[in-house]
Amino acid sequence: MSRKTDVVIAGSGPAGLMAAYMAARKNCKVRVISEGMGCLAIGGGYVDLLGYSEAGKRVEKPFEALKNLSESHPYSIIGDENIRKSLADLCECLKNQGLEMAPAKDADGAERNSLVPTILGTLKPTWLVPADLEGDIFEKAQKILVVSVQGFRDCKPALIISQLRRYASWKDKEFDPLVIPGPFAEHGRALNALDLARAAEREEGRKWLSQNLGNRGKNHDLVLMPPLCGSHAASTLRREMRNIIGCPIFEMLAVPPAVLGLRLRDAFLRELWKMDVEFFENSRVLRANVKDGQCVSVVAEASGREIEHVAKTFVVATGGTLSGGTILEQGKAREGIFGLDIKVPENVDDWTKPELLGDHIVTRLGVKVDGNMQALDENGKPCLENVYFAGRTLGGYVWTREKSGLGVAYASGWLAGRLAAEKVLGTGAAI
Amino acid sequence: MKVRINPDKCIACTTCVAHCPVARVTPKFLGPRMIGPAYERFRLLALAEDESLTYCANCKNCDITCPQGVPVSSINMLARAEQARKQGTTLRDWVLAHGELQAKLLQIIPASLKNFGMLNPVTRYVLDQLGIDKRAPLPAFAKKTFRQAFKKIDQGSHSRKVVFFPGCYVDVYDPQTGLDMVWAFNKAGYEVISPDEFGCCGLPMIANGFWEDGKKRANNNLAELAKWREQGITVVTGCPSCALIFRDDIPEFYPELVEKHGLGRLEDAQDFLMECVERGELDLGGIRNDTEQPIVYHAPCHLRAQGNGLPGMELLKRLPGIKPVNANAGCCGISGSYGFKKEKYDIAQEVGSELFDIVRKNPCKYASSECGTCRVQIEHGSGKKAIHPVSILRMRMEGKTDPVVDEL
Repeated sequence: MSRKTDVVIAGSGPAGLMAAYMAARKNCKVRVISEGMGCLAIGGGYVDLLGYSEAGKRVEKPFEALKNLSESHPYSIIGDENIRKSLADLCECLKNQGLEMAPAKDADGAERNSLVPTILGTLKPTWLVPADLEGDIFEKAQKILVVSVQGFRDCKPALIISQLRRYASWKDKEFDPLVIPGPFAEHGRALNALDLARAAEREEGRKWLSQNLGNRGKNHDLVLMPPLCGSHAASTLRREMRNIIGCPIFEMLAVPPAVLGLRLRDAFLRELWKMDVEFFENSRVLRANVKDGQCVSVVAEASGREIEHVAKTFVVATGGTLSGGTILEQGKAREGIFGLDIKVPENVDDWTKPELLGDHIVTRLGVKVDGNMQALDENGKPCLENVYFAGRTLGGYVWTREKSGLGVAYASGWLAGRLAAEKVLGTGAAI
Repeated sequence: MKVRINPDKCIACTTCVAHCPVARVTPKFLGPRMIGPAYERFRLLALAEDESLTYCANCKNCDITCPQGVPVSSINMLARAEQARKQGTTLRDWVLAHGELQAKLLQIIPASLKNFGMLNPVTRYVLDQLGIDKRAPLPAFAKKTFRQAFKKIDQGSHSRKVVFFPGCYVDVYDPQTGLDMVWAFNKAGYEVISPDEFGCCGLPMIANGFWEDGKKRANNNLAELAKWREQGITVVTGCPSCALIFRDDIPEFYPELVEKHGLGRLEDAQDFLMECVERGELDLGGIRNDTEQPIVYHAPCHLRAQGNGLPGMELLKRLPGIKPVNANAGCCGISGSYGFKKEKYDIAQEVGSELFDIVRKNPCKYASSECGTCRVQIEHGSGKKAIHPVSILRMRMEGKTDPVVDEL
């Protein structure tokens, strides 16, 4: 049997969830088909927009720098205004679930990137940070307490401090390390930030944090801590901790499993559940049935059989090469569902460079789209009338180097979801 | 063990760790990534096993969430079988894995006596000593098995046929759900066939390390399924775990049996009934009683793992008056026999606590879920009765707001 709906979204990463949110808000019947959970369980929960220019220069004001991006960059295709609107809708979605995020502001009120510390002691240019974070806190704070927990091997205050001191802006600050005892009497595995954030959500966990951190910040300007303040969007723990500790706190970006990303995912899912979005989990979209440039249905694998999903419009947010959104073969690359050809140099050796997070062709690979997020054929004409691409399926940007991953995902997911819904509404009433 | 799964597809991203319900509540468990693909590399070198392997509940949330398609739970089950072969199994695990056999052996004893024998405080104390927690909600034997009750049903005459695989939970403990299923298929114009040759799907055995016993069940069931496949008659089940094991586990674990008998598939009965509705075979328009009735629906993990959405929930949505709310609270914690085990009981209760809370706070009188042991766990944790979606379908089609109870 085929299963009919208005909009099918392939992929449940940030782009897919954002597209689902936009389409559902326009009262379309939305189905998300996903293989795996997307990158939010392992990715950051602060949203980067554009941290570095294509030439590798650090960006302070992304909306000024967007103008200088090459024409084929997804941001250039999506356009400033759409990007702004997408971020506003994202913030609204998160706020509905108790997670307030906003860009930092200069003294004159201009929005800008924050350079946020990570638990590796690096600084990452980031757009959306907790809304109550004072804009110049990282510049102003002189006495900083760096906190970690015994048994949490990924976060070492001594390492963070020595790494942060490499940066001119942090070199002269005064740091104190603090390692508090863990919340568990015994544990069989190395603790991660998620274990600790979940422990902190329980009654005993709150006590654990209060006992060990109560008033510890009263002689400091800032406490840097791993993301311990709960794994849910609605957790009020972060606000409480600020009062308990006695000074502003900042939860550093951490390695996976990603507490901050899971808070975002939690907010999205709760919004989508409210709007009755359907989820087909553990199912990989294999191919599409296309007739006269229109996608009629997609066929998805479902534990040993195939299910045909019929819809009016489709959003493809299946990720890049790692997630199977782009398939690499010897000397060839193609998009995973429609088999769209992606141009690559014939010599496979040219696809990569020695630098791990460098400007690899393989990182830029993706579908070429127009301003409607529709795939273009070799003559530059849209070739699939009711299919919209989003997130890492898109080509033309190097998110690893630019620090633009989540920004592109949300902006393109926003546009793709909106256009997919508008097309449904334009061709008659939604189901 | 002949079957091996390549662990190297795992990129160690920890998505499974973030979504594992057991790892969420106990830091004693190494977690799916470590105990599955990472430890598999040690196993391949014949190095030691980690004892926290027993914490894996085989709920398959790791498989559902893995972005790389690594069958983490299968790696764990293969490792458990190997561990059982080397170190032996316990009487407790045998008891929990072979409920169907025990029911057969006890068949001549009346249910009331059996239940007195099994559920009285003395037996529960002995079982507790054996490792089955005395607080665990062991289900009671039904007065008659589904098979016994089924034979007495007058189905009337129907032009279409469907084969029903009851699964041992419905057969031994919950024949009413099976009878509701037969009622619904009859209403849709199908004669129901339920052959005695079908036995336990084998999942309790595999999950408890009884690999060869699981294989025997798979062999018998596949042979029977082949017969119906040749006749072109669909075989359905209302139990998501039974369906899943035939789709994913048996082809993976016992490929030689699939070679011998061909693939044996159980279709989802709720999905089948939805199709009946779409084809106009089952008319829900005739439901006159549209009294509003809230229902909290719980999606079993083994259903979510099938990539087929939630047909049972869709069916509930189609019933006039029924307002199903998806609990969206993840795993209920029971995972078959896992939550009955003494060292796992508290873990299972903690895993399910969010779900219990949602059911308790909802104004609903009934919760609903396809999986038998999920229902046991929901009732135990929330104090509210949980019934199968098809039982709700029958209840409403018969114009009632409480489940129908047939004479056994």
